[in-house]
Amino acid sequence: MTITDRTITAPEETLALPAGPTIAHRPLGVFTRPQGSEGWTSWLFTVDHKRIGIMYGAAALFFFLVGGAEALFIRLQLATPNGSVIGAGTYNGVFTMHGVTMVFLVIMPMAAAFANYLLPLQVGARDVAFPRLNAFSFWCFLAGGLLLTSSVLIGGWFQNAPDGGWFAYAPNTGLLFSPSKGIDFYAVGLQILGVASLVSAINLIVTVLNMRTKGMSFFRMPVLTWMLLITQFLLLFALPVITVALFLLMFDRLWDANFFNVEAGADPLLWQHLFWIFGHPEVYILILPAFGIVSEIIPTFARKPLFGYHFMVASGIAIGFMGWGVWAHHMFTSGVGPLSVAAFSVSTMFIAVPTGVKILNWLATMYRGRLRFTTPMLYAVGVVSMFTIGGLSGVTHSIAPSDTQQTDTYYIVAHFHYVIFGGALLGLFGGFYFWWPKAFGYKLSEAWGKASFWVMLIGFNFTFGPMHILGLQGMSRRIATYRGDEGFAFWNMVATIGAFVIAVGVAMFFWNVYVSTRNWRRAGRPDVGPDPWDARGLEWMTASPVPEHNFDEDIQVDRLDHFWHRKYGVDENHRVVRAAPTSEVAHDGSNTNVHLPSPSYWPIVLGGGILLVGYGIIYNLWLAAAGLVFLVASIYGWILEPADDPDAAGHHDDHDDGDDHGDPDSNGGPSGNGESASAEEPESESAETEEEAATIG
Amino acid sequence: MSGRARGLVWLSSLLVIFGAIALIVVAIVVDKDHPLSTLSPVGRQGRDIAELINPIFIVAGVVFFLVQGAVLALWWRYRVAGSESGDGEFGYYDDDEFPEQTHGNNRLEIAWTIVPTVLLAVISVFTLVALFALDDVKASEDDLVVTVIGQQWWWEYQYHLDGDTSTPPDFVTANELVIPVGQDVALDIKSRDVIHSFWIPKLNGKRDAVPGRSHDWVIQAEEPGRFRGQCTEFCGLSHGYMKMVAVALPSDKFAQWKNNQRTAATAPEEGTDEAAGWETFETQCASCHVIVGLTTRGGKPDTWRIYGDASGGDAGGYLDAETLVAGAAPNLTHLMTRSTFAGSAFDLYLDAGEDIPYLNLADRGTLNRGELEAWIFNAPERKPADADDLRGMPARTGLSPDDIDNVVAFLSTLD
Repeated sequence: MTITDRTITAPEETLALPAGPTIAHRPLGVFTRPQGSEGWTSWLFTVDHKRIGIMYGAAALFFFLVGGAEALFIRLQLATPNGSVIGAGTYNGVFTMHGVTMVFLVIMPMAAAFANYLLPLQVGARDVAFPRLNAFSFWCFLAGGLLLTSSVLIGGWFQNAPDGGWFAYAPNTGLLFSPSKGIDFYAVGLQILGVASLVSAINLIVTVLNMRTKGMSFFRMPVLTWMLLITQFLLLFALPVITVALFLLMFDRLWDANFFNVEAGADPLLWQHLFWIFGHPEVYILILPAFGIVSEIIPTFARKPLFGYHFMVASGIAIGFMGWGVWAHHMFTSGVGPLSVAAFSVSTMFIAVPTGVKILNWLATMYRGRLRFTTPMLYAVGVVSMFTIGGLSGVTHSIAPSDTQQTDTYYIVAHFHYVIFGGALLGLFGGFYFWWPKAFGYKLSEAWGKASFWVMLIGFNFTFGPMHILGLQGMSRRIATYRGDEGFAFWNMVATIGAFVIAVGVAMFFWNVYVSTRNWRRAGRPDVGPDPWDARGLEWMTASPVPEHNFDEDIQVDRLDHFWHRKYGVDENHRVVRAAPTSEVAHDGSNTNVHLPSPSYWPIVLGGGILLVGYGIIYNLWLAAAGLVFLVASIYGWILEPADDPDAAGHHDDHDDGDDHGDPDSNGGPSGNGESASAEEPESESAETEEEAATIG
Repeated sequence: MSGRARGLVWLSSLLVIFGAIALIVVAIVVDKDHPLSTLSPVGRQGRDIAELINPIFIVAGVVFFLVQGAVLALWWRYRVAGSESGDGEFGYYDDDEFPEQTHGNNRLEIAWTIVPTVLLAVISVFTLVALFALDDVKASEDDLVVTVIGQQWWWEYQYHLDGDTSTPPDFVTANELVIPVGQDVALDIKSRDVIHSFWIPKLNGKRDAVPGRSHDWVIQAEEPGRFRGQCTEFCGLSHGYMKMVAVALPSDKFAQWKNNQRTAATAPEEGTDEAAGWETFETQCASCHVIVGLTTRGGKPDTWRIYGDASGGDAGGYLDAETLVAGAAPNLTHLMTRSTFAGSAFDLYLDAGEDIPYLNLADRGTLNRGELEAWIFNAPERKPADADDLRGMPARTGLSPDDIDNVVAFLSTLD
């Protein structure tokens, strides 16, 4: 039996060593690589950046429902004075988990979904630089997310949930003041999430730097690629800082260290500095991906190139740098001294400049455009409008004397929800509508999409608009209730009603997904085509949904918006004319002769090991030790598994004769971690049996 | 939809938007019944802050209308009809028509980088001037200094009438900070446990109380009155119930109040309900609550000096778990001269209103007996407290209704 024979019947279970055709079995079953790209199990072992992106998105939407439910509990509790829907103890857990969930388990992984799915496509690569690490990032993120979220159930409803606020100021998070397991979950969970983000950041940075296709110079990269790249650099430098802080906190709580013990001479401001040196760049980590998405959507639906591409990129980079010099504006009342306050006040003011440039450039892109208000465009313009409000209130905070009145009031709550919901989340939802046909092969319903946008937008403004007023009228943040004679009742009731309107809008989004999927299936799964919006980026140059190998052949990029310029040219009167039909320019995904990295068991196993260690650190060190053994064993498994699996179905064992696919720098393919070491791998023609069905389950 | 109908939709949505904004502006301008509002300052510092920020609010408002107006105008002017289904050859477009493919305009973009920069530079000058001016206020050497100490979940005020915080305070009170009108009062803000933040919005911005640190702050009231406050740094379970009040009195009334506060309490007459109440108080409450003249510590009667002696002169020192309980409860010597209790979470008098004549007990209104009794009986039910009784007032559910009546009768003598 030759290998060529076997591989025609795809997911066969025969064992064979990878090193040569003569050996008929493998010494250890676990050191084979998983096979097949169909069925739900293939999702567990996939290293395909698109599937990982989809899983990030799905997980983020799940956590979005969790965080949203927490938000509704907050609003119910605050709807009336002396609220008693949930008690103060539960309330503290709920608002802490709402913040932590929305920041770390919703916005960040949603952005990671777009980064994973789109970055390789936008730079014309086959996959990310380190596909197995990419899968590990996801499973590690999921482990951290589940660990954190499980805290609300373990030992009773919100009995062990973190209750120190997402900022977890010392010494309130010390064992003396927060004796439940909550802060342990916070410290351990965020460290695990940090590992996931850090690994992912390095992976994506290397992908963008090393795996761009021919001719894709830095200033030919789409703005979304730029913004995601800047985000990854911010993550790379910010996460170690919070990790240090969390590590110290963990030692304080679990092993009686004294890093934040005031009695032993510590200064609690240490925590605040560490937290905000991470925390402020984090704000830009949340918003920059949405800026990138908006910069993709508006030109598409204005039928114009982005106005001032270089300024847009430069302002993103400027934000990336300036974001490091403003952290102490979270600490204007902490007693950091007038000189520090002055310096951070001024630096904070000027970070508004590059952000303002972006707003004005988007408006200039719309100017004289042919604007089509599709659902993604509504969301993108919604970002321009709503983020401006958040930006303006942000400038008023930078006035440090005035911030001593506003800080820790609902004015701040209003501000950052206009930035994070009105900016980041609306942008990400716009991205869902925009790239949904690319990822799944059909569009979401426009009618439901528009309706859900307007409901969400109106609910959003009714929820967070009044909070500006409440804050200026003196309502503090993080208070479980307020007195009847403080004058906060009316706007709180309005905000609560608004929150439920948002919930309706979100429900409409999920209903849209259901209805659109059902209708598409009933209609016999019609092909949406590679380029349903007449868009500009390279990701639209291949079939929808994107085949596992991304592009049929390497793309030679010769300018910014390469794909668009392949479709359109200019005539002698400088009028834009059609140069070629999309079907001629775009790839149809039919090339099966592409080498791809094999799936792997180890990323998810390693993620499970980390989960065990996490629970072990909190509850029982023996469990942590067992988890550690598990973890080390899976690292060995990871190292020892064959680079490629001759038994693997479909593309995975195929050679790409003669063609050095991928980037010339990367020396033969997308798998920079050695998975493409396929010199002695047998040839095969088996790929015909594999179908694109792989790309959606 | 016809052009006319579209126009109507646009017009009505614009009306809704501007109507909503107008409503909000009205709601802000008519700033009544908001005792914590930052928009109607009464203190000099609060007024300085408002004068700094109000023009900036206006500038921000103008930018807001310009940008939102631009969004709406661009939307209105450049939107095109097209294939509704979006399945046309050109996606959503019916046609092959393109606008001018502008890639940018460096001059314009440099302009809208520089203009906001200059605008912000101007704002930053005003900000820095105000910032250093607000920071520069120092009370003169021998003026009143109040050491403000935050702890879970109430405020203690130690009055140093001679301005010397290294000696024991002249007297100590809780939750209600009484100050003379028109005078800058220096505060020395500290914490005994976690971080709190002291904030009387009508007088000045907030300043954190950080354990192990001492923060200078100043407040001033230009008119007599009661000004509400709220702890604004999340400080654990009952953070929302950690409130305070500042009361500004004219100088003669302040002097009268001050002299009253320095006096010690006297024991109630034997055989009365009040005396029975004191007995209950002595066994149930006195291990934490100090009443100068009555309570004792280690066999010695408590004086104001204990606040200096207890922690070696540093009365705002950080306390460990044990001392968090012992002694770290509000001093009740003149409880009845306050208008609130339990971290200002509850009113001590029922129909007192905002500007009660502070020293005339007869005008204070009716004692809020129900709330006070409920508080003494089961405090954690009224205001959440740590289950291990480490922080917050523990329940005294063993007391009979008569006991509680007597304790209230005793407390009523503390004025």
